[in-house]
Formats: sequence, structure tokens, C-alpha cells
Amino acid sequence: MGRSMERDAHPLYLSDAANGKRLRICRVDAGMQAKRRLANLGLVPGVVVRKKQAAPMHGPVVIEVRGSILAIGRGIASKIVVVDEVE
Amino acid sequence: MAGGASKSCAVPPAGTRLINVALAGNANVGKSVIFTQLTGVSQTIGNWPGKTVEKKEGYLTFKGNQFNIVDLPGIYSLSTYSMEEIVSRQYIVSDDVDVIINVVDASNLERNLFFTFQLLELGIPVVLAVNQMDVLRARGMELDLAVLEDAMKVPAIPVVAVHGRGVHELLEEVIQMVQDGDFQRHRVAPNGFVRHDHADAAVATAVDPRRLKQRYQPPDRSAILSFGKEVEERVAIIAGAVSSAGRVAALPYPARFVAEKLLEGDEEIVPAIKAAPGGAAVIERVESARKELEDLHGEDISTVISAEIYNRIHGLVDRVLTTRPPDKKGRRRAAVLDALDHLTTHSFWGYVILGLVLYGTYTFTFSIGDLLGGLLDELFGTWSGSIYVAFGEENPYVLIFWNGAMGGFIGAVGGVLVYVVPFFIVIEILQDSGYLPRAAFMLDRFMHVIGVHGKAIIPMILGFGCNVPACAGCRIMETYREKKIALALSSLVPCAAVLVVVMGLVGRYLGAGWVAFLFAVNFVVIVAVGRLLNKVMPGQCTELIMEMHEYRKPNTAVILKQTWARTKEFVFKSIPMIVAIGVAMEVLLMFRLLDPFNIVLSPITVAWLGLPLITGVFLVYGVLRKELTLVLLEVLAASMGFAIVDILTPLQMLVFCMVTMLYVPCVATVVVMARESGWRYALKVALLEIAIALAIGGALNWIGTLLMLA
Repeated sequence: MGRSMERDAHPLYLSDAANGKRLRICRVDAGMQAKRRLANLGLVPGVVVRKKQAAPMHGPVVIEVRGSILAIGRGIASKIVVVDEVE
Repeated sequence: MAGGASKSCAVPPAGTRLINVALAGNANVGKSVIFTQLTGVSQTIGNWPGKTVEKKEGYLTFKGNQFNIVDLPGIYSLSTYSMEEIVSRQYIVSDDVDVIINVVDASNLERNLFFTFQLLELGIPVVLAVNQMDVLRARGMELDLAVLEDAMKVPAIPVVAVHGRGVHELLEEVIQMVQDGDFQRHRVAPNGFVRHDHADAAVATAVDPRRLKQRYQPPDRSAILSFGKEVEERVAIIAGAVSSAGRVAALPYPARFVAEKLLEGDEEIVPAIKAAPGGAAVIERVESARKELEDLHGEDISTVISAEIYNRIHGLVDRVLTTRPPDKKGRRRAAVLDALDHLTTHSFWGYVILGLVLYGTYTFTFSIGDLLGGLLDELFGTWSGSIYVAFGEENPYVLIFWNGAMGGFIGAVGGVLVYVVPFFIVIEILQDSGYLPRAAFMLDRFMHVIGVHGKAIIPMILGFGCNVPACAGCRIMETYREKKIALALSSLVPCAAVLVVVMGLVGRYLGAGWVAFLFAVNFVVIVAVGRLLNKVMPGQCTELIMEMHEYRKPNTAVILKQTWARTKEFVFKSIPMIVAIGVAMEVLLMFRLLDPFNIVLSPITVAWLGLPLITGVFLVYGVLRKELTLVLLEVLAASMGFAIVDILTPLQMLVFCMVTMLYVPCVATVVVMARESGWRYALKVALLEIAIALAIGGALNWIGTLLMLA
């Protein structure tokens, strides 16, 4: 995970990642409450997710994480830093 | 159905023992289906004492044992972030429950076991109900339950809840656990379904299940439950400090669980320890341990702990779950589900489908409702004719019992029930199939405009049928703040009764354009109220984090039972009330007791809203049930031999409908709202809505009058 944990100058956010991509979560910069809820649902740093879809007009994004499908508001998704996971 | 299980009432017959079981697990794992399979129609829905969390309870007898079953709300963890979690946690460790049946979704094992791990940390008797075994197989996956049981040291029963398979075995396992007080190894049959030799289970030995919790010695699960070295060391030190000081005694949780929750800053446990003698020192130690761990991992503590648990589970799931490449049938199933999912969340077609679904819901509801309602009206008319001929039209008994009681009953059934039932069926189908979360996803952006996230669309759609279940449905909102906003908005959604009034008056006499106008105003009011509440309430709009479970074929039995459970309340609580009001109305009309109401309300109704004097009392009755405003108007018109157009001018019709739409949610809605958010808030919302209705109704009247003069 070494590289992925680095805070690079141009982080990739979950909200901006392309649909269909496999991504590894680096960190979650959201508020405490949201962070806890995400952690309870298995969205913790290091886990690999797949972005499935994004609703139009800045709507939520859909990801597959640990075999379940989650819809996450764009505000939170734009605070989740990810890196591309090589297939 | 649990075949041999027979239903009975709350009091256990002599000679049987009472076993208290709680069903716990994530949302959407089939918990309610298992609950329905077990308890059938004996279930009651109430609230936890002093809480706004729903409590579902039911009974059954099975093999000489009386089971009391509580269906806990669907939750993802045993923290204290929501009311549901607090209520569940306190109930799970209390002496009111003997065995927990933890329902998990086999096709989503990793996420589900996170909750199971927390249950195991509590060291209480748990039986695992591994549901959706059929879905798992359809996906080409195989689950080795024997390895799972061995690793977690809990009995795991394979279940296909929708077909009632494995439900029996669950109860047998619970009986076994009550008798042995310990986890037993099982033989797993080749088909994956557990077979027990439970012949002796029926011959109940004189064991008091009440003492199971005291007798119960949890097996050593340290191999699976322990954290990584850094966390484990600190948890052990804190647990030692907590238990050696005897401070854990007041809390019903094991020391290790207390230590972990102290680290996470638990809202129940931290204050309790702080208040105990010497607690400050423990808290200090916790704080420094937390800081060390957060520095070490570069993450906040709840993320660290959750990640550790998930790592364990991930390893375990890897061992027990094998995935074969799916066969042709499995591949086709996956492709169909994927295409369906893709289409319904597509940025263009998704909205087209959403529109069609909403339109279809309406068409279905109203075509069935209109058909049945029309038939009932016709029947009532025919019967009335013969009754009037037989007993005379002016006979006071006819007026009270036929016009009043029977008329009220027919009105309630033909005017409301015939619309509400088909609507509930559609909503249940949408919910059960998994479409509603997709609708929430599609509309999230728009819903943010009115101050809530997408999930609120679910209760608000319900609101078009009836505001009462809509307000009850607001409990799906995560935070109290959002629930309160969703409640206010749901109560403003024009319900079926309002639609009946609007269609019957404005639609019938003024045309569809004016109906659209009224709905547009109502819509603007919803947006405005949402924005206003979002501004004035402390905090800010939370974002959507929602699970979207896979599409599945809705189960007819489940849909019908849920529809019945929702309808039951209306049939047994609202219909008698409506009949009583019908009788009271006839009496009041007969003795002309209405006039004082009209006089008292006249400054508002006549002077400000420009309505005829008599409408004052109609609006009062409308608070009880909104469609009464129109029904009574029709009754009055009929009794005077007039048509409604002779009583109301077009402008008065508009004002009357506008006020009926907005002025206050009906009494039943206010009651449910109060149950969800307290009386203070419910009354505040009611007052706000009265103010809005009077402002807009008055404005409409004055603008209309001025335009007509001009």
C-alpha cells in the first residue's frame, strides 16, 4: 500500500474516477460521522472497490465494496481519495 | 411457513416454557421475512418504550415451547450512532432475551459478518441464520458452513426465508442452545441443510431459560476475535483497568467490549465510566491509548478498529466461500440483473423508467380504486333506495344508522381503502424488488434542493397514498434532523384523500388545468418548507450513504402479509373512527349543533378566505379525515337539494381545495408524527401548515377577487 498512502499533489477522488474502474481507497477526508458509517460498511483505507455508476447533475455515485453495492452522495465521494488498482 | 408451528397468544399455556428470541442483523437481509414466517399474523407493531424506534413483536408455540420473538431494527453495527443501534444493543444484552438469531445474507457475507463479530464480542448466545442460500448458489458460490461454524464457534443454519426453508431448524437450534447452554457441533447434510437428532428436544427438561444468560459460558473465540498486536495490547490493558476496578459491573457488557467502545468514544459507555469512582483515570488511559493508535496507523480510531475486524472477516470469508465460474443459467441471471440495474440507473432511461413507474403506480391505484369505489357507491345507492322506501327517508334511525354509520363505513371503504390497498401493494413490490433505493439514487440530487437526501423520496412517495405510513416510513432516515425534515415534507405531500377532494371538486367543475395549478402550489410549498427547515434547524444536510441490494423477484406471500399489516391499522383504527364521526355528524346535523363552530370560525372562513359560513365545520372535520370536507359538502348539497356549484363559486372551490390540501395533516398523521418526533415538533409542524394554508388560501381569495373586479 506504500505508494497509495502518499499524499500526492493531485489526488484522484472517487467522484472523479471513471465508471467501471477498480480502485483502492487511500483515505477518507469526510467528517467523523460519515467516516464511521463508511467504516462500518467496510469502506476503509486499503479496500478495493469498483465504481459502477454516477448519477447525472452531480448526483451520488455507486460503488461495489466487499460484495455489496453502496450509493454514496457526491459530497462524500469527492472526499474519498483513491488510486487505480491494477487488474 | 414453519409447518408444525402453531400460533397462539401472548400468554404461554401451562406446562410450556417461554423462550425469548431477538432477530438481529443488517437491513434487507430477509429478517422481516423470517419474522413473518415465524409469527404470521400474530405480529404487533409498536414502539420501544420512550423511543421513536419501531418494535415488532410476535408469538408462536413450537414443540411445547412458547417463543416470544422480537424483530430488531436493521442495523450495521452495535455503536451508538443511531437510536436503532442504542435500542438494539441495550435489548440484546438485557435479561429480556435468551437467544439472538443473527440473520445474515449469504450472498453478502463479508459485510454481514461485521455485525456478527460485534455480537460475538458481547459473549451472548447467538444462532446464525444464513439466509439467501439459493441466491448464493445461483451465483455459482459455495459456502462451507462447517468451517464457518468451527471458526466462529456459533451454530450456523442455512435458510431460504422466502420459501420457509431452515426456519424450523432455527427454532430447534434455539431450543438446543437453551438446554445445553453451549454451542454444539452439527452434522451438515450433503444438501447443505442441517439435520439434527432433536427427538429429545420436545421432551422439555425443567430448565429455566431465564437463566441462560447467567449459565452461558461463551466458547473461547479469541482466535477469531482478537485484533492486531498494537490494538489488542491496548484493549487488554484498558479492559483490565476497567474490570479490576469493578467499574464494568454497572454496565451489562463484557470488559473487552467496554474497552473497545471506550476507545471509539462510545456515547453510552464513556459517560458511564467517567461517572464511576476512579473513572477519570481510566478515561485518561483510554485517551492516550487512542492517540498512540491513531498516530501509529495514521487513521482515526474507529477506522482502525473497523479495518481490523474487516481484515479478519475477509480472511475467514476467503476460507469458507468458494466461487465456481457460474454455469450458463447463472451467467444469464447475472447478465439480466446487471442490465436491469444499468437501465434503471441510466442517466436518461433511468428517469424515463422512474416516470413510467410513478405513472404506473398512479394508474394502477386509481383504476382499481375508481372501479371498486364506483361499484360500492352504486350498491349503497341501491340499498339506500330500498331502505328509504321501507322505513321512510326522514326516520331519525335511518338517518343515524344508515346515512351516518353505514354511509361513513362505505365512504371509508369506497373512498379510501380501495385506493390505499392497491397503492400499498405497488409500494411493497417496488420495495421488495429493490427498485425504491434506485429511485432514491436517481432523485438524490433533486432531493437535496429541498433539504433532504434521496432516501426521503421513499416515504414521500408513500405520502401520495396516505401520509400516515409515509410518516412511519421516515424512520429510515439516519439522523434525527433529517427524519424531522422528512416528516414535515411527507405530511405536506397530497395524499389520496386530498386527491379525491381536489378531483371531485376542482377537477370535476373547473378542469385539469386548475388541478395542475393546485398541485404546483403544493409542490412549491414543499420545496419552500424543506429549504426553510434546512435553514432553521441546527446542523446540515447529511449525505446519502445507502445500500442498494440486488434486484430480486418479489415474494407474493411477503407482499400480501406486509400489505395486510399496513392495512390492518386503517381497518381497525380508522374505520371505526370514521363510522363514529358519521353517526356524530348526523346527530349534530339533526339538532343543528354545527352552527356555533361556523360562527367561531367565521372571521377566518368568511372574512379572510371568502368561503360560505357552513364550510367552517367541514374544515374542522377535515382534520379528522381530509376527504370528509368534500363528502360533507356533498351531503349538505344533497340534503338541501342543491348541486355543489350552487353553494360554491369557482374561486371558493379553489380556495377550499387549497386550504384542504395544505391546512393541517389529518389527526392520524399528527399522531404518527408525534410518535416519530415527539408532540412538540408534531404540533409545530401542524401550526406551520395551518399558517401556510391560511396565507396562501387568503392570498388566492383576495387576488382572485381583485382580478374578477378588474
